[in-house]
This record gives sequence, C-alpha cells and structure tokens, in this order.
Amino acid sequence: MWRFLFKRLISSVVTLWLLASMLFLIVNVLPGNPGRKLLGPQAPQESVDQYNTKFGADRPLLEQYGKSMKRLAKLDFGDSYATGKSVVSVVRPALFRSGKLAVLALVITIPLAIFFGIYAARRQGKFADRAVVMTGLATSSIPEFVTAAVLMSVFCVTWKFGRVFATPPPGTSVISQFRYLIFPALAMVIIYFGYIARMTRAGVINALQADYSRTATMKGLSSGRVMRRHVLRNALAPTITVISVQVGYLFGSIIGVERVFNYQGIGSIILNAVGKKDIPLLQGSVLIIGIIYMLSTLLADLLIAFLNPRIRLEQS
Amino acid sequence: MSDTSVVAAAGATAAPPSERQQARRENWRLVRRRPAFIIGLVILLVWIVCALFGTSFVPYDPFETREIAYARPGGTYYFGTDQTGRDVFSRVVVGARDVLKIAPLAAFLGVLFGVILGMFMGYVGRWFDLVSGRVVEALLSLPTILIGLLAVTTLGKSNPVVIGVVAVLFTPIVAKTVRAAVMAERDLDYVTSAKLRGESTPFIMFREILPNIWGPIIVELTIRVGYAIFVISTLSFLGAGPPPPSPEWGAQVSQGYNDLAAGFWWTTLFPALAIASLVIAVNLIADSVQAALEA
Repeated sequence: MWRFLFKRLISSVVTLWLLASMLFLIVNVLPGNPGRKLLGPQAPQESVDQYNTKFGADRPLLEQYGKSMKRLAKLDFGDSYATGKSVVSVVRPALFRSGKLAVLALVITIPLAIFFGIYAARRQGKFADRAVVMTGLATSSIPEFVTAAVLMSVFCVTWKFGRVFATPPPGTSVISQFRYLIFPALAMVIIYFGYIARMTRAGVINALQADYSRTATMKGLSSGRVMRRHVLRNALAPTITVISVQVGYLFGSIIGVERVFNYQGIGSIILNAVGKKDIPLLQGSVLIIGIIYMLSTLLADLLIAFLNPRIRLEQS
Repeated sequence: MSDTSVVAAAGATAAPPSERQQARRENWRLVRRRPAFIIGLVILLVWIVCALFGTSFVPYDPFETREIAYARPGGTYYFGTDQTGRDVFSRVVVGARDVLKIAPLAAFLGVLFGVILGMFMGYVGRWFDLVSGRVVEALLSLPTILIGLLAVTTLGKSNPVVIGVVAVLFTPIVAKTVRAAVMAERDLDYVTSAKLRGESTPFIMFREILPNIWGPIIVELTIRVGYAIFVISTLSFLGAGPPPPSPEWGAQVSQGYNDLAAGFWWTTLFPALAIASLVIAVNLIADSVQAALEA
C-alpha cells in the first residue's frame, strides 16, 4: 500500500512539473513585454523598464524558467503584476468561495446521479433507463454558462426565486447563503449529473452480469444484499474515478457560471487576470487548480485501491 | 442491435471489400432508424440552413440598430430586440454561421493530429509512448476551457487561433483513444504478415492498421464536433471570441447577460437555447453513430 502511494505521488509531481512547464511555454511563446502590455502604450519607457526589472521579465527565458520552477518547488506562486500582492493571498479567499459553490454542487449531484444510475441499470433497456440516459446525455453536453443563463432568466429574473448577484454579503447566515448559491450550484449539477449517472449505470450493469452476482443471487441472498455486498462495491470504482476527474473540471466550468451569476470566486479572478494580462496571477491560479485536480484524482485512486484489493496488489 | 449485425461487423475487419461494404450498409441502416438520430439530424440541418441562407430570409438586418431597444418578444420581433434595438431573432439565425464554420474544422484538425500521435504512440511505442503519455496526461489534467482561455489570451483573439488552440487541446484525448485501438490491432495476424512481407513501418501504420480502426476514429470525430461547439461558445462567452457586433451565440450571451438583472431575459435566453439545441443535436447524432459502429 505504501509503495503504491509513493509511486502515485511521484507521478503526480512529474505531471505537475510538466504542467507548469507547459504553462510557462504558452505564456512565453510570443515575445512579449509584460511591462508594456500592462502599463499601456502611453507609459514612459523608464517605468516600463523599471517594471520589467522588478518582476524579472527582462531576464533570458531559460533563467526565468529556472527561477519560476525553483519558486514553484517552494509552493511560491509569485506576485500579481497588477496589484503586487502575492498570488496566494489574492487567490485564497476566492478559492474558498468557489469551493463552497463546488461542494454544494457535488453534495447535490453525487447522491442524485448514483441513485438514478442504479435505478436505470436495474431497468436496463426499458423506458425509464432510456429516459435517464438521454436526459444525462443532453444535459451534460450543454455548456454550463448556457445552463446558468437559462436558469437565471427563468428562476432569478422572471420568477425571482434566486439572486442575480450570487455573492452573499459578508455576515450572511448559512441558511440565507443557500438562497444565493443554489442556482449557480444547480447549473453545475445539471452538467455533472449526466456523466456520473451514465458511469454508475454502466458499472452496475457490468457488475450485475458478472458471475459473482449470479452466484450471490443463486445462493439465496436478497436482491438488496446482492446489490450492497457484491454489485456496488465493484460497480462504483469507475464512478469514483469520474467524480474525481470532474472535481478538477468543476473548477474550469465554474468560470462561466460565476460570470453569469456575478459570483466572486476563482473564475472571476482568472477572468480579471485575463483582462489585465496579469500573467503571474493567471499562471498561479491555473496551477493551483491543477494541484487541486491532482489531489482529487490521487484521493480517488487511493479510495479505489482501498475498495478493491486487486488494484492495490497489482500496482505494488 | 441484432445478432447478424454483430457478426457482420466482427467479420468486416478481415473480409473482402464487398462483405465489408455490406456490413457498413447494415450499420448505417441501424443508425438511420434511431429516433434520437433523426431528431438530432433535423435540428442540425435547420441550423445548417440558417448558417448558409440565413441572411436571405431573416426579417431584419441583424446588425441594424433601431430606436426600440429591449422590445419584448412578440409578433413584430419574434425574440424581441437587444440593447441597441437589433432584432434578436435575426441575430440568432445568422449567428449559426460562425460556430458551424469554426467547430467542425477545429474538431477535424484535432482528430487528425490525435490520429497521427496516437498511431505512433500505439505502434512505435517504447520511449516515445512513455514520454508522450506523460505529456498527454499533463494536458488532460487541466480543464480545456482554462488552457484555451490562457492560450487565446496570449496568442491573440482570432478565428485561426481559436481553431488551432481547440485542435491542440483535443489532440491528446483523441490520441489516447487511437493508441488503445492501435494496441488492440498491432499483434493481430495481418500486421505480423505485413511485417514479414517486409513492409515499412509507415505503410503498416497507415495502410494496414488505419483502415481497421476507422470505427473509433469516426465516433471520436462526431463526439469532438460536439465538444468543439461547447468549448468555442464558452471561450467566446468568456471574451475570447469574435468582438461585439458579431452575432456569434456565445458572444451574444456575453453581450446580453448583464441585462438579466434589469429583467430583459430574451437577449440572453434565445442565443443560449440556440447553443443548447445545436450541442444536443450533435451529441444525439454522435451517440447514435457510436452505438451503430460499436455494435
């Protein structure tokens, strides 16, 4: 088990390093002048130079790369061009807000999707099954900003159930925060429901057809017991993987939802950074999302290894 | 999915051309009968007609501004008018053009790159597979939208850039699928006999293996078209698309969503529904193609 964990950690670090290098490449692929870009064409040359020296943007690329990797190893993401504050201090509160939204979305999606996935699998080929599969296919293929915009037009503008500006003012109680967050969260639920339900359905169908399920039924176990003890244990592994992959994507799709609902999370930080060409802030926030994704897939792999001894032993 | 089609499809790999053609025809017949496929195709065709001939049948000029800003949807303006009095219906119809031009091209390029990379990863293997496998995983570890946004921001907003970025983003995903398909083929008898005949590696890859993995590649292409529409309209909503007067759907939502707070829902809702209907249509088609080709 420890060897498995160790191997998995090493490969995460390698992937993260590749990711950071790729980001560096994308950001530096065009010969740009960050000081000039940020301060605008009218700014005097001296202040542009001063700016570039301060942030090391005038050094050779290879040196910049080495420096940024070294800083990264110490989990230092640098300072924002626009405000001069450290990237972490800007990102942290926003990340917390986005996290709240993401957790609410997942708390609603996971039980709902697993329930409907199992429901569909047990009625395979019947109308209820086709309905779940088709609904999932349709809803998960629509971009989340579209779902968010439709939800907002219908529920927050026409019927006034929710809030158009979803950032709760400071000091709002947890229960009233719910009213702010529910519709942006629902926009994400609609996307992820389909993926998770389809994956659960496929896993359950596979496990139901396996010999061990048949044996369990034949030896006289009740169908509930077969489901709990034999089917679900095996069927949920792919579902867990999908959920963990989606946690990373959740932070990508949150950008659109946050923009529609005027929510001040990591998405709005990224969009602001894009608008201001604040490259360190942009790079830092994207990397932090990458790290979250790594951690969630790592956690999922461990969970699967814990549930399924075959994987645990095979890997080590 | 009748048993005969399974046999026919399985036999198709090694069968003479006439039999393989027959199997394909059989599969096509299966696809055509699915209601999901028909619905998807009808919606897609409607949007293609709008894209091609929209300018000649829309009731108003989609770019012409009028005195009546925010007219409610009704008999005169079916979908109402926007903040500068432009007719939303005409803009939605003409807006089909942009996404239908960019998305299939981006998907096609992404699949092309992905097939080439995946063929090499699966067939040549060894260190090449190991190294590119790592890079592919790193690329896959980030939400497509984020990298796309970052790349379009640094490279500049223009259609060729968006097409290129989306294609590169799709490459690793396609490569992964193609690699798996190649791995399943490369130890089969026909590959071994081609090797013994002394055929060159590129010949084996592209003339022997490629014709046998068309199924997953076509499935991947149809799925990618759907995702390309998803990614491109999202990028354009986030400000990395065509600039304001453009009737592109994502751009329209991004111009309209600020008016939602004031109660003007129609400038956002109709282009949003247009995106949703197109994406659903393409995915219904992709799902049917997948079900038929993998039968």
